[in-house]
Amino acid sequence: MVRALSEARRALKRGGRLIDMRPTMRNRAVELALPDASLFIGEIDSAGAFSDHVAANDALDAALAAGEFKLEHHATFEIRTDLDSLADLREFQGELRRSMMPESIFERIAALIADEPADFLIRIRREMLIARYRRL
Amino acid sequence: MAIRSDSAGREKSYLLDMLPGDASCILEIGCGDGRLTQKYADTVTRVIGIDLPSTLPREDTERLPESVSIAAASGVHLPFPARRFDGAIFSFSL
Repeated sequence: MVRALSEARRALKRGGRLIDMRPTMRNRAVELALPDASLFIGEIDSAGAFSDHVAANDALDAALAAGEFKLEHHATFEIRTDLDSLADLREFQGELRRSMMPESIFERIAALIADEPADFLIRIRREMLIARYRRL
Repeated sequence: MAIRSDSAGREKSYLLDMLPGDASCILEIGCGDGRLTQKYADTVTRVIGIDLPSTLPREDTERLPESVSIAAASGVHLPFPARRFDGAIFSFSL
């Protein structure tokens, strides 16, 4: 992380901006959206990636302390992914890297939609952070 | 059946808010297949996206604007001269 940040600084003009966009260290939430309610089903465990987040934060903190960058703006926002079926959720699961989706999520959704198989949406919420730094 | 990610366009909206208005040449580190790149490429003059060879798409990238170049490179050894870019984006890669 430190090396990548140092390289980015080298490649930036003085006064250039560095934008860091990545997920926060909160697990993604899986919900079942029904016509009259939205039910929390479970979380996708992303703890396996949290050490990278900590290392990135440490590298940025060190760069700020060293006067290499200045934080200009930061924000968090949410990305929603909507899926139409358990097959879609299984496909989504197959694309996960360093995250685990427990089988209990599939089982709970299957039980909940047994009576209303067509009128639902599976929604995954992911919190993102975005920050902009000025190269000093 | 379908998977629809960020249909509200929040990722693009936040990114465009963060991009400096005077940026003309952007380096995107960890660009993958250019999914994020194509969301902002038309707002800047030039984008160079890099990623590890194993992450870059095997198929061509003709769907990307002409202003975008994709190259295989590591973020810890950037093959560019010093002070070339107005902006750098780490997308899921720092």
